[in-house]
Amino acid sequence: MTDYAIEARDVAVTYADGTEAVCGVDLLVEAGEFFGFLGPNGAGKTTLIKTLVTLLRPTDGSVTINGFDAVAKPRSVRATIGYMAQETSIDPELTARENLRFACDAYGVSRAERGGRIDELLELVELTGVADKVADNFSGGMKKRLDVATALVHQPPLVFLDEPTTGLDPAARNRLWEYFQRINDEGTTVFLTTQYLEEADQLCDRLSVIQDGSVVADGTPEALKQRVGGEILAVELSDPDESERAVAVARDESLFAEGAAIEPTESGLAVTARDARTRGTDLLVALRDADIGVVGFDVRAPTLDDVFLAVTEERPDAESPTETADVRTETGGGGGDSRATTVPDDGKTGPAGDADGVNR
Amino acid sequence: MSVQPGDRHGGSFASDVWATFVRWTIKSIRNPFVLVVSLVQPIIFLVLFTQVFGGVATSALEGVTYETYLVPAIVIQVALVAAATSGIGLVNDIENGMFEKTLVSPMNRIAVFVGKTLAEIVRIIAQVTIVLGLGVVLGAEIATGLVGAVAIAGICVLFSVWFTAFSNVLAVVTRDEESTIIGANLLQLPLLFVSSAFLPLPALPAWIQTVATFNPITYGVDAARAVMLGEDTMTVLEITRFGGMWDTLVPALAVLAGLALVFGSVAVYAISRAASADVR
Repeated sequence: MTDYAIEARDVAVTYADGTEAVCGVDLLVEAGEFFGFLGPNGAGKTTLIKTLVTLLRPTDGSVTINGFDAVAKPRSVRATIGYMAQETSIDPELTARENLRFACDAYGVSRAERGGRIDELLELVELTGVADKVADNFSGGMKKRLDVATALVHQPPLVFLDEPTTGLDPAARNRLWEYFQRINDEGTTVFLTTQYLEEADQLCDRLSVIQDGSVVADGTPEALKQRVGGEILAVELSDPDESERAVAVARDESLFAEGAAIEPTESGLAVTARDARTRGTDLLVALRDADIGVVGFDVRAPTLDDVFLAVTEERPDAESPTETADVRTETGGGGGDSRATTVPDDGKTGPAGDADGVNR
Repeated sequence: MSVQPGDRHGGSFASDVWATFVRWTIKSIRNPFVLVVSLVQPIIFLVLFTQVFGGVATSALEGVTYETYLVPAIVIQVALVAAATSGIGLVNDIENGMFEKTLVSPMNRIAVFVGKTLAEIVRIIAQVTIVLGLGVVLGAEIATGLVGAVAIAGICVLFSVWFTAFSNVLAVVTRDEESTIIGANLLQLPLLFVSSAFLPLPALPAWIQTVATFNPITYGVDAARAVMLGEDTMTVLEITRFGGMWDTLVPALAVLAGLALVFGSVAVYAISRAASADVR
């Protein structure tokens, strides 16, 4: 008898070419949870999710899904999960209804049940009107919605969503979020990977952050944002060479709450503080008094980049997390206090002991 | 909330075969382009060759019209084209995610393979029937009658296995639609010409006769032609112990079965490796 929908212990996945995509990940997800797995491109999210859904075999460690061992009983795992791959996976030559019918057959949904089930799902993802149209002509968002529906035909107690909204416009994304929230409200456990903190923030009860194949932080979205140390105020100076002086001004005036991080950037300076939004104008006034020209400023909520910067000692060396590639990415993350927070499972995040490199 | 062992297992083997068969059949019916266009080239060959070479060739053949002589080659060509599309179907499935979607479902993987193959066999039989019918309209004669026609379709199905396997291996190795199409089609015409397909081998240069001996197409065409003419047509192997057309059929079918086994095993290995290893 298990209480966990997902139970992964010390999972390592090493590709045939020796790449250690996942090293020593532990993961416990309770039934009914909405769990988020955050990380930049190439962090190991997709490798881990493919291991959980039995597409890849772990090089080391154990994976138990809905009480079934993923290596010993892959078919039982497959029958009790829904999986939506990162790339939309539908047969473009079939109609929406035919795609769903095929999924019903694939999951052994009985003929008696499937008619009603298909209608319900078409209704849920708002494709009833185009049910008998060939999917090839659907928009990206419609295809994604059809893909979601095909993952739900057998009413799985656990659903895996691999970056389900990447590349969608905001309206389509919001719609998908609603469906995910709804199936979770109805009791389905959801495991979601994403690059967007915003998405995780909106949906997830609990998060893990993965980087270079290891979990570097976990907790509620609130707790993770807390580690960043608040919002980020970026100021663009007319003369970027004055950024050191501007930083000095901001520090001298002690405008911001304790723990604020004030750092120079390429175009000016950046402040990370809980009161960055409310005290921002004071900083602008102080800069004007010091005769430093300001050409622009921006206050924003912490992004995934910032979370990474806050939870890791050093900046990620890969270029990957610069999704919002602007100068503000240069911002030093949280202040000393948040950086000092040790990574919770440091002891387990070393490279996998099993180096046989075989990946089946 | 937890799921008890034995709760769900997906469908049965037969229903997995059926679901896959239905999907591929819908696809080929919905895309008549594939069904019809893949027939165009063989039909052009049939019509043009008989018109252009018919007069000359018939005089070189003993008591057989060129139409009758050529039809077995054209049905083998049809089987080749159909076999090439099998790999294209697989590569499309890999590209649009259906391959992975099937792998992550509880469907039996062998059943999936069987279902897709069945759909292809039905297609080959349909196309071969069309070409045989057209050949008869053009004046070809099947000496062994209706039973012979069915046998020819069967030979085409057996013949298609090695090339189907080959195009599927191309698909999982290249994972690219264009490469698969080019790779499979590039071989088609040269293979046809350096075989017994279009003219009797003794009339061709020695080197072509040598190559033809090792060309699978020779065995497919010879087998189909033996049934078409009701006599021994094979020249690459001289076997006389079975009598009449069986002197061709027995060795040719043995070679085709052997090829099917070898290529089929390689394909099954390549596909199952693609299914279980790093998918991207």
